Amino acid sequence: MNTIAEHIADFLKEYPPFDNLTFQELSEIASNIHVLNLEKNAILFQINDVLHDSFYVVASGTINLSTIADAEETILNKCHEGDVFGLRPFFAKNNYMMTAKAREESIIYAIPIAVFRPFVANNSNVLNFLLESFAVNSRHTKDTVSGSKQISDTGFYVDQQTEMQYIQSLSYNNSPLTADQNSIVKDVAQLMTNAMVDNVVVTEKKHPIGIVTEADLSSKIATGRYPITETIDKIMSSPVVTVIENVSLAEAQLLMLKHNVSHLCVTKDGTSKSVVKGIISEHDLIVAQASNPGVLIKEIKRAQLAKDLKQIRDRLSDLIQNSIQKNVPLSHITNIAGEINLAIIRRAVELSILDLGSPPARFAWLSTGSQGRKEQLLLTDQDSILIFEDVAPEKYRDVKDYFLRLAKRTSSILEKVGYSYCPNGHMGSNMLWCKSLTDWTKQYNSWMNTPGENSNDLSSIFFDYEIVFGEPKIEEALENVIFKNATNNTLFFDFLGNDALRKNSPLSFFKKLILEEEGPHKGKFDIKTRALMPLIDSARLLILSSNIKGIKNTYLRFKQLAITDSKNAEIYLSCAEAFLTLSKFRTIEGLKNDDSGEYVNIKEFSKIDREKLKNALQPMKDLEELIKSKFQLTQFS
Amino acid sequence: MLDWLKNINKEHPEFWKNYLTKFDSKPNRFVVLSTETSGLNPDKDVILSVGAFAIVEDAIIIKDSFESVLLQYQFLQDHQLSNDFIIDSKMKKLTEPEAIESLIDFIGNAVLVGHHINFNIEMLNEALERLDCGRLRNEALDVDMMYRKHKDITDKEFTLDDLCEIYKIPKSDRPSTSENAYRIALLFLKLKSRLGIK
Repeated sequence: MNTIAEHIADFLKEYPPFDNLTFQELSEIASNIHVLNLEKNAILFQINDVLHDSFYVVASGTINLSTIADAEETILNKCHEGDVFGLRPFFAKNNYMMTAKAREESIIYAIPIAVFRPFVANNSNVLNFLLESFAVNSRHTKDTVSGSKQISDTGFYVDQQTEMQYIQSLSYNNSPLTADQNSIVKDVAQLMTNAMVDNVVVTEKKHPIGIVTEADLSSKIATGRYPITETIDKIMSSPVVTVIENVSLAEAQLLMLKHNVSHLCVTKDGTSKSVVKGIISEHDLIVAQASNPGVLIKEIKRAQLAKDLKQIRDRLSDLIQNSIQKNVPLSHITNIAGEINLAIIRRAVELSILDLGSPPARFAWLSTGSQGRKEQLLLTDQDSILIFEDVAPEKYRDVKDYFLRLAKRTSSILEKVGYSYCPNGHMGSNMLWCKSLTDWTKQYNSWMNTPGENSNDLSSIFFDYEIVFGEPKIEEALENVIFKNATNNTLFFDFLGNDALRKNSPLSFFKKLILEEEGPHKGKFDIKTRALMPLIDSARLLILSSNIKGIKNTYLRFKQLAITDSKNAEIYLSCAEAFLTLSKFRTIEGLKNDDSGEYVNIKEFSKIDREKLKNALQPMKDLEELIKSKFQLTQFS
Repeated sequence: MLDWLKNINKEHPEFWKNYLTKFDSKPNRFVVLSTETSGLNPDKDVILSVGAFAIVEDAIIIKDSFESVLLQYQFLQDHQLSNDFIIDSKMKKLTEPEAIESLIDFIGNAVLVGHHINFNIEMLNEALERLDCGRLRNEALDVDMMYRKHKDITDKEFTLDDLCEIYKIPKSDRPSTSENAYRIALLFLKLKSRLGIK
C-alpha cells in the first residue's frame, strides 16, 4: 500500500460507482491502477479495436466518446473528471463500438477488469451503476440512418434526441406472443395475462393471419357474444397490418392512422406471408416521442427543482446538437430552443413565486439580450429586467423589496440550471434593473433622448426584450415608450449606429481573418464580437428606425427589412443568410467545447468551412456602408 | 584513484551480482526515482527517503512501486537532527542497507527517470559503495533536460514545481517523496509523448 494509491483511492471515493465501496476496497483497486497520460486528440481506443483489459476513469481533462456513421463523427458523450467509461469489456465480448479521444490533455486511470470484477459481483449498487452506464438503448440499435449500433457507455449519457421523426426508428416488442388459430380464447387470455401484454398475434405456420387485442376481448368476449371456449380465430381482427423491420416513427404513425388500428405487426419482408418478427403498439410510439420538444416543455412545466430543469436543459443541448448534425435549418432550431429556454425561465420565475408567495403588484419579467431575440442556442449568461406596476409611494419599498428577492431567487435558480450570471449585472436581481414602470419609462426616455450622457448604463441589449412572465400590458407600454422616442430621434440612431460600427472588423485589409493576438484565446477568431454582434446591432438599429414592432429575431429582422426597404433587399437577404451561417459555426463550436462558443478555432476548420466563414463576412461591408449613408453618422464619430 | 584496485579482491554482495546479470537484456521499463536527502553533498549527506514508480508502455503502474524511509539514526544523531519525521511517516521503514538492496532489486535494468537524476544517482552510488558494490549502470533521463530540449532552452534550469506548473499538474497537499516521484512520472509521460521517445 503506497502513498499514491491512497491518494487515488481518495479521489475515487468521490465518484460513483466507487462511492459504494469501502476505503479498504478502494485502496486495493487503486494499487492496481495504471495511470495514463493522453495528449490532446490522442485516441485511447477506437471502433472495432479489440477490447482492453481495463476500463477507465478520467482523472483530469476531458474525453470525447464518439461513433462514426456515414463518415460523420457523432459525439455521444463527453467524460469529465470522475466519469467512468470504456465499460464494454464487462458486458460484451466483441470489439469496441465507439472511439474515445482526448479533447484536451488528460490523465486517465486504467482499472483492470479482473481486479474490479469481484467488487461488481459482490455489490449490487456497483453493478447497477455500471449497467445503467452501459445501458444499451434498443431504439438506437435499430437506427436505420446511422446503420451502426450506438451504445451509451457512460453514466450521464441522456437519450439521443431528435425531433426528426422520419429518421427516428422505434423500439418495439420483438418477441411477440403468438398463438395458433385453433387455440382456445381462455388459454390465450391466460397467456396474455401471464406475459402481461395486451395483444397476441394469431399465426398460421408462423405467418400472421390476425391479431387479438384487449379491445377484441372486451368487445367480443366480455359482452357475451362469444363463449370463452371459442377458438381464437373467431374473435381475432383480421387481416393484420404488417410492416417491415426498421420502420420509422412517422411511418408507423401514419399506418396506424390510415388503418385505424392500435397495433402493427412486424414481419420479415413486410407482408403477411412471412415470419412474424415483432409487434408495434401505440405505447411504443408514445415512448419514442418522449424526447421531442413538446415533451420537454411539458416536463419543464412540471419540474420542481433547479436540478430537474438543468437535466432538461442538458437534453436540449443534445437536441440542438443532433438537429445541427441532421442539418435541420438553424432558424427552426432557434425557434424551438427559444421556446424551451423561455419555458425554463418562466418555470424558474414560477418556482420563485411559489417560494415567496404571490406578488404584491402586477409585474413583467423580460428577457433581454440573446434570449430576448430568441437566438440563444448555447448556455450563455442570463440577461433580464423586471418591471412592476406603479404603486402607492408608501408601499413602494416593500414592493420593490419583494421583487428584488423574487429576481434574486430566479437568477440563482437559472444559475443552477447553467445560465451564468451576467458579468455586467444586467439582471432583474440588480437594484438598477428592477424598477416600477414609471422609473423604466424615465430610464428609456433618458437613454434615448440624451444618449452618450449616461452611456455607461446604456447597453443595446435593453432594446431586445421578450416577456417571459407576468403582465403583457407592461411590455406593451414599454414598447410604446421606445417607439415614441425613436421617431425622428437622429441623435439616438447616431449613437446606436456608431455603437454597431465600432466593433472591430473581422477581415484585415488583405481579406484575412483577424485572429486574437493575445490572451487565452490567442489564435482563435472572436466570432461573437467581430461577426455576430455587428449584424445583431445593425439589424436592431434598422428595425427601430423603420418603426417596425414585434420582430425580435435578427434573422427575421433582416428578412422584414428586405421587404420594407426593397431597394436594398439584396444586402439584407445576404446578411440574413450570413447571420445563420455564423450562428451555426458558433453553436457547433460551443457544443464541442461546452462553452458559449465566442471564440472559434479556425485551425480546426476544414478549408471549405473557412471559405464559408469568410463569405459570410462579406455582406457586412455593404451593410456598414448602408448604415453610414442612411444615418449620416456624424455627431459621435 | 585506486579505488577499483581496492575493490578488486572484494566479493560483491549477492544482490549486486544479481543486479549485474539483469543487464544482459534490454530494458523494457522506466523507473521514476525521487529521493529526499539530508543535503546536497554526496560525500557527506545521506538519503532519507526514496520513492519510485515503474512506467511500462506509457502507463504508470501504481503497484510496481517502491517507497521507503531510511533509518539514518546514526547520521541524524551525529548532526543532532530530529528524527521525528521518521516516526511520523507512514511509509515502510528500512535501514540503509536493506533499503538500497530492495531498491536495486526493484530498479533492475530499467531506464531511470528523475528530476536532476544525476544527483540522485550520485547519492545512490555513495550508498552502494558503503555496501561494497559498484556504481549504477542504468541509463538515465532527466525531466528538466527533456523539457529544455523540447523548448530549446539552454540558459535556465527548472525546478520540479516550475515544470508541474507549466504542465498543470496539481500540487499535492501532502508532499512526500512518493508524491514527487508520481509528479515526475506524469511529467515524464507528457514530455515523452511530446518528444516522441519510444
